[in-house]
Amino acid sequence: MPKITYIEPNGNESVVDVPEGWTLMQGATSNGIDGIEAECGGSCSCATCHCYVETHADKLAAASETEEAMLTNVAAERRPNSRLSCQIKAIAELDGMVVRLPAAQS
Amino acid sequence: MGFSFDPYSPAVDSDPFPLYKTLRDEHPCFWSEEAGMWVFSRYADIVTALNDWQTYSSASGNLMTELPNRAGSTLGTTDPPRHDRLRGLVQHAFLKRNLEALGGPMRDIAAGAVAELRGVKQFDFINDFSSKFTVRVLFAALGLPMGDEQTVRDKAVLMVQSDPVTRAKGPEHIAAYNWMRDYAAGVIAERRKHPQDDLISHFSAAEIDGDKLDEMEVLLTTTTLIMAGIESLGGFMSMFALNMADYHDARRRVAADPKLIGDAVEESLRFNTSAQRFRRRLQKDVAIHGQTMKQGDFVCLAYGSGNRDERQFQNPDAYDINRKPKGHLGFGGGVHACLGSAIARMAIIIAFEEFFKVIPEFHRVQEQLPWMPSSTFRSPLRLELAAG
Repeated sequence: MPKITYIEPNGNESVVDVPEGWTLMQGATSNGIDGIEAECGGSCSCATCHCYVETHADKLAAASETEEAMLTNVAAERRPNSRLSCQIKAIAELDGMVVRLPAAQS
Repeated sequence: MGFSFDPYSPAVDSDPFPLYKTLRDEHPCFWSEEAGMWVFSRYADIVTALNDWQTYSSASGNLMTELPNRAGSTLGTTDPPRHDRLRGLVQHAFLKRNLEALGGPMRDIAAGAVAELRGVKQFDFINDFSSKFTVRVLFAALGLPMGDEQTVRDKAVLMVQSDPVTRAKGPEHIAAYNWMRDYAAGVIAERRKHPQDDLISHFSAAEIDGDKLDEMEVLLTTTTLIMAGIESLGGFMSMFALNMADYHDARRRVAADPKLIGDAVEESLRFNTSAQRFRRRLQKDVAIHGQTMKQGDFVCLAYGSGNRDERQFQNPDAYDINRKPKGHLGFGGGVHACLGSAIARMAIIIAFEEFFKVIPEFHRVQEQLPWMPSSTFRSPLRLELAAG
């Protein structure tokens, strides 16, 4: 399982083994990590699982049109490395990836 | 006799949780003879299946007992990319920020419904409150013409049921579904002639890059929205009321501090979501937990079991409004996560804010509840409550 590091707004770092095929959003919500709300449950329709991709950006597929559109709704500052964590699936190539969670999701 | 799990049995309607535990612990990939499908009961397996729509397809239907000719034309019964196209056309109206305008009307409807219960000692929560509330809210949200509320509600409740003896939809369930489809067709035709500012007018005319919903998609999506808006929302409201009636400490805290209603709703969605089981169909062979499931086999995803999985939730059989159970499966998950989750949360919170103002203290009257016969959903048919 790829290990993903989540850095919460308060600086807490959690390293989580996320099962392959699960999304980074699910890796966070199923492990009690604060900083991800994921109100819509992973259907790319609420923009409350916003994250900043700190590493491994070159291993990710580009955001879909739907994700791009939804990223315009994020509550915190949108940056070039902003993504929705429900749209990033954990794969072996992402082992060691670091994502930072914004101070606000809604 | 070996272990069996029959989602058509009244025992499962009333209390599936002990059976779920045996499934999780001893048969995590179980072949149910009675349902003719595999059953996934562990949280992790369900999440994995929800993510992998290429393997676990919805295109052959998502209800445990599917309605005729429905699969393939609704959000819940299509796979990407067709699903994403449909969802793109309808989801705009369901986004949280587009629902604000409904808050006021919802509150008026809730206040009006509960006002009728002022001073009443004993009442049926479903008949006397939740069904009035859900039907009126749905009619307001969808812009449906008033007058048919009771019939629409009765048909919506009937169409999600299944026959415990034949293990299929009975003629009365299919007739209710056909009635609803015809009713939806009438409303759509009316809205096309006289568009107004409502959901059906919007999505029957919605266009993205010249792409529109076809007639069958508009029709069956509308039918599903009516079913979900009335039956699913009403069913869950009765489960929440039941939890509030049974867990006195939780109810007293929530009634005293309505800001806690949201946390209590999330815990009820985990503890006993009304959407207990949905299904998928395998697009390839899958080997898991010592079993080999074949391409073409159906798999039941038992959300209600995943939500009680001790591998995921500590002390899962305790009802605890402090839990904040992120990642629960009460609305499913993945690309098919419930489209109506934001409107449902908003409606329930507003309904109970108003309900608690009039009836802060209540308890259950029936010892045994009459449960709806359904292989997919779980909620009582009547919920007698006594105020005070």
